[in-house]
Order: sequence, then C-alpha cells, then structure tokens
Amino acid sequence: MPKIIIDGKEVECRAGISVLQAALDAGWNIPHYCYHPGLKVVASCRLCLMEMKMPHPQTREPGWAPKLFPACQTPVRKGMEVRFDSDKVRENQKHVMEYYLLDHPLDCPVCDKAGECHLQDYSEQFGNATSRMVEDKHKNPKKDIGSHTLMYSDRCVLCTRCIRFCDEIAGTGELRKVNRGSRNEIDIFPGEPLENELQGNVVDLCPVGSLISKDFQYKQRVWMLNTARSVSPADSRGSTIWIDYNKQGVHRIRSRYNPQVNEWWISDEARFGWKYINSDKRLNTARIRRGVSWEAVGWEELPGILRDRFASADENATAAVLSPMMSCEEAWLLAKFIRQVAPRATLVRGYVPIEGEDKTFPKGFVIKAEKCPNRGGVEQIIAHFGGNSMDFDEFVKAAGAGRFKAAYVVGGYPKEWITEAHARAISKIEILVAHDLFPSLLDQHVAVQIPTASFAEREGSFVNCDGLLQPFERAISPLEGVKADGQFFHELAGEPGLFRAEKFRVSVAGELEMFAKVHVPPDEPKYAH
Amino acid sequence: MSWETIDRTTVAEEKLGPGLSAAAREKIRTFFPRYPSKRAAMLPALHIAQDEIGYCSLRAMRDIAELLEVPPSAVMDVVTFYTQFWTHPRGKKVITVCRSLSCELMGGKEVLAALKEKLGIDEHQTTPDGKYSLVTEECLASCDHGPCMQINEKTHKCVRVEDLDRILSDPDNDKISMPRSDIFDAPQKT
Repeated sequence: MPKIIIDGKEVECRAGISVLQAALDAGWNIPHYCYHPGLKVVASCRLCLMEMKMPHPQTREPGWAPKLFPACQTPVRKGMEVRFDSDKVRENQKHVMEYYLLDHPLDCPVCDKAGECHLQDYSEQFGNATSRMVEDKHKNPKKDIGSHTLMYSDRCVLCTRCIRFCDEIAGTGELRKVNRGSRNEIDIFPGEPLENELQGNVVDLCPVGSLISKDFQYKQRVWMLNTARSVSPADSRGSTIWIDYNKQGVHRIRSRYNPQVNEWWISDEARFGWKYINSDKRLNTARIRRGVSWEAVGWEELPGILRDRFASADENATAAVLSPMMSCEEAWLLAKFIRQVAPRATLVRGYVPIEGEDKTFPKGFVIKAEKCPNRGGVEQIIAHFGGNSMDFDEFVKAAGAGRFKAAYVVGGYPKEWITEAHARAISKIEILVAHDLFPSLLDQHVAVQIPTASFAEREGSFVNCDGLLQPFERAISPLEGVKADGQFFHELAGEPGLFRAEKFRVSVAGELEMFAKVHVPPDEPKYAH
Repeated sequence: MSWETIDRTTVAEEKLGPGLSAAAREKIRTFFPRYPSKRAAMLPALHIAQDEIGYCSLRAMRDIAELLEVPPSAVMDVVTFYTQFWTHPRGKKVITVCRSLSCELMGGKEVLAALKEKLGIDEHQTTPDGKYSLVTEECLASCDHGPCMQINEKTHKCVRVEDLDRILSDPDNDKISMPRSDIFDAPQKT
C-alpha cells in the first residue's frame, strides 16, 4: 500500500492505480471526463491535470515541475507528492472548461441529462460564468444511431468513453470519431447501427447529455426521481441496478457498481426489460373459485382460507412449487408454511426459464441464458428443509399421474411459462393455488388465485449464479389490489409483525448460513462517474 | 439544430456507391505480409480503392473493413481524417490550390479566383463535364515557388493568372515526370 501526498495530505492507496483514482477514492473532487476505471486510459480530456514534485534535472532537488501532468495517466509511486489545489491547476481547469463550452448549445432546459450532467457540474465548480467566444457555434442535427440511443453531437465533449466501451467491453466497435479539428464528432457507419446487447451502457457512461436513451427521453427530470438499490431479475447473473422512480412509478433502470458481479455494466435486457411491471394485463385481485365464477377475497382472510384448504388435504399429496423468481425470504416462508400444515409435503424447485446459451463479451461480461434471478437460493432452501423434493419437470409428471391433491404453485415470470402440457398435468390437482403475475393457462383449473408483486414492488434477496446473496430494496408500492409477497407469506407462515427483509435475514441466519453472508457491493467514490 | 434528426441507422442503396473489384481485393491482400496486423494495411487499401473508384465509396469502405477484419466505422474514421481521401465522386483531375502565406503573398488568391471563373465552379465542386474538381489546401510544400497549385499529383510552380489557360488546355497537365515509388505500388516479394 503506497502512501502518496495529495495537497499536503498523506493518502494511503492501492498499488498500481492512477493518482486520479487514488484522489477520487480519498474523496477529492477532481474533474474528469475521459477517465473511467473500467476502460483504457487515453488522457484526452485534460481536465485532471495536476502539479507534481520532481527532482530538478541539474541540482536533483525536488520541486514542482513546470508542466502539468494528467492524473489519470500517472501511476501512484511511493512517496510521490502532487497537488490539485494550486493556481496553475485551477487556471488550466478554467481554460479547458471554456474550450468545452465553445460550441455547447446551452439547451439544458430541454436536455435529459440536466441535473446529472458533468458539463453543468464542472462549469459551475471549475469553469467560468462567461464565454469569450464571439463566432458562430457549430450546430448539428441530432443523430439516430441505434434502437435505444440518440446522439447529440453539439453537446459532446469527445471523451471517447462510448467508443472505448464499444471496442473493449462489447467488442463490436460501432462508434468512432469522424472528421477532424472543430468538425470532429462521434458517429456510426451509415447503415451499421449501434446494436449490441450492452448498448444502453453508453448512455450511463456519457458524462454529458450527448448520448440520450430514447426510452427515457422527455419522460422525467432527473431531480424528480428517487433511487432504490435493487438486483436485476432479468438473468441469473444478479447484476445490481439502481431503480429510478417517483410517485408515478418506475422511470428507468441504471447499472449499479458491483466489482464482483457486473462491474459498471448491465445488459439491455435488465435495463429496458422491466416494462412488464406496468402491464395492464397483470393480475390485481386475490380471488377464489366458486363453481363457475370467481369471488374476490380480502387479503386478510386469505391466510386462514389457505390454511384450512391445505389442512384438509392429504399431507403426502401436498406440494409447494417455489419459483426461482421468488426472493430467498419468500421461498423460506412459503416452505415453512407448507411444512406447518403438511409436514410431509413435497417442495418443488419451480420452472427455470432458459433462453439460448450464455453470452460472454470480450472483457468477461456475461449474459446468462438462465432467465431467473434466484435458482440458487430456492435450491438451498429446499435442501435445508429436507424431506420430499423434486424439480419442476418431475412435479409435472407426478401431477399428471395423479400423485398430488393440493399444491401451491408460484410463478412470477415476465413471460408466459405454462405450456398446454403443463396445464393438462397440473389441472389434475384438486386444490390448486396459483400465485402469479399474469393470467396463464392454469387459470381455469385453479381454486385460489393470488396476484404477485413485481421485483420493484418487493424487498428481499436473490442468490446469483455464483452463490452470492444480494439484497434488493423496494422502489414503488405494489399495484392496487396486490400485496407485497414478503408480507403475505410472513402472515401466511404465522410470523408476528411486519415483514422487513433485513430483520428477517438476521432472524434466520442461525438456521441457514446463506442468510448470514449478505453481499453488499461497495459504493463508488462520491465524485467518481 | 437538435430538433432535427438524421437517421444514421439506415442508408439508401444508391448512396453506397460502387464496391471493390476482385483484382483490387487481391491487391490489398498482397499488402498484408508487410505489416504485423491486417489493420495496418488500411492506408494502402484506401489508396487502392480511391485509385480504382475515384473516391472511397461507402461500399468500398465496407469491403475494406471486411478484408482487414475491423468494424466499418474504423475505416470511415481514417477516411474522414485525411483530406486526401474523397468520400464523394470527384472530377478526373483535382486542382489543389495553396492558400497558405507565401503563395497568397505571391498572388495565390488571384489564381484561385481566376480558376473559379474559368471552370465556373466554387471550391469543393466538380465541373459538369466531370473533368476538374477544385479544392484548396493549407500548404503544398513549395513555398519558394509560390503561388503553386497541384493537378492530381503534379505540382505547378510559380503559376501566373495568364498561364492558366495554357495549363488547363494541356492534356498532360497532370503527368509527373518521375514515376511513383516502387515501395508504394509494387508489393514486396517474400
């Protein structure tokens, strides 16, 4: 751990990192555009220049070198001394900011980046209030460069983060700099759009409002949004995400830094694939079948009804299907409930959707083929409870053979998952309770139908493909008529009080070790971006 | 102007222009052994394309990208960086007039104005018969012989306005006495 001196203060830092990273880690606010820890260093933005102490070429006496050095390209050395807090450095920042704003159209009122834009922040903190530019500014139309992305060339600072991302992380290289001098801009080859499965990340990476997500454009001002720490349910990788929401619901999803899992990136599926939570097809009433018609039932009556129904059935012929879309806490509580009413009940690992094959990108980012977030957690819970257990295919086969009389089937998948063969087999179960997000082929056979809440409406934890248990927070309240699953299962299993995922994990940590090892990724340094 | 949108994701078929011939592709391939990577053959490849088609068409850029195993955008990056590469059709002969200091002091501006009048075109334009295109360049590296201009690769020095008719009417006004170096044209035998 080398120690370096920044602005007269001694800072301990990791070996092999740049001075800029060390300063950001230690809480300094150093302006930077082109530097991103996940990408190669180009040192082109010239904003992070610093003064460094070096030995004089003749006298060997250490003193401040006359030139400025890019902090992002200078690795830390034991005992080195640098400073950002000097007139020379501030003067440079001021002039560089003036350059960046030469052609800027100042369209912040209609720009979606306003509020989280580093041109705004840095020009306020390090720049000048006025520009000496008297010539006409270059004006460019915006460019449609891909199915999710728009490019505003006149807001661009040419940091080339997006180019490096497409080259290094996605490996497709659609974006490039074209033309030169003051006409330099970022563009795609005509007819070869930005179409890779990670393209949404370039919008997150852009420090200014140049790359704009079509999905979020003109939807909300960013200062109207709250954020919740969540985990993406799109695949079994367990990428950590920020959910940006307000009273009107979820507005966008961004990646959340997680060095052990997804680093700074998420797939487009995780970023744009959450729209199903606003679907008007979603189930929103708990109801019981009475002959040919349905009868709505209050949430407070449900636990009693379910308890009675399952208690009346043969305990050997009872099963609970724990969906890998459930959080660990919910799966635990449902397993506990079913074993309370039928100690010999079978625990079934729910249907695991698999689409294609795992896709690995050049620098190791993986999109998993397994499109559910919590197979690992559900399997560990089933193993912990012991007794009869099987997987979903065996369950369907056994149900078709008439082995089960009562079953609690949990779904929660964003896509249709019950095939006609499944429905035919499962329909032989007399007391069928379906807990699902969308109507399915099972509907005509179920005795009790319960709507489930989406991932943004629940709290809990998922175990990803590498066995890391990662907690996620609730962003919005459940759809009207829906109860958060955690709370419902909490009441169903007869636990007292309110369900709080964190408190619950602590209370069962002694029984199942998995709940004790919660992986919470560290936050990025405050001024890093 | 951000209220206007250009669609870059699609391109009209007629804008792609002609592609590379099999012979040109083969010629590009012969440059590969000279360099550590295929990508390094980018400039020779673009010269071959420009020599064959007259300019670097989008389809030719795409063909080169395929040959060099790089994204097509990387080829466009190089083409748009160098002013010597043309991205649209040009005349048979390109007249480049120097607009730098020495030439301008010696009357370069007058030469340019006279050329514009004689050809009836402005800078970056091509005569209707497709014979001449006119551009200006910062320096043609003949400051001691200003004002100077180039027709294709032939440099005309100490050009006077009254000489222009003679130069333009000479059919060999773009012939250089010294042939281009072997190192450029002929592939090395390994």
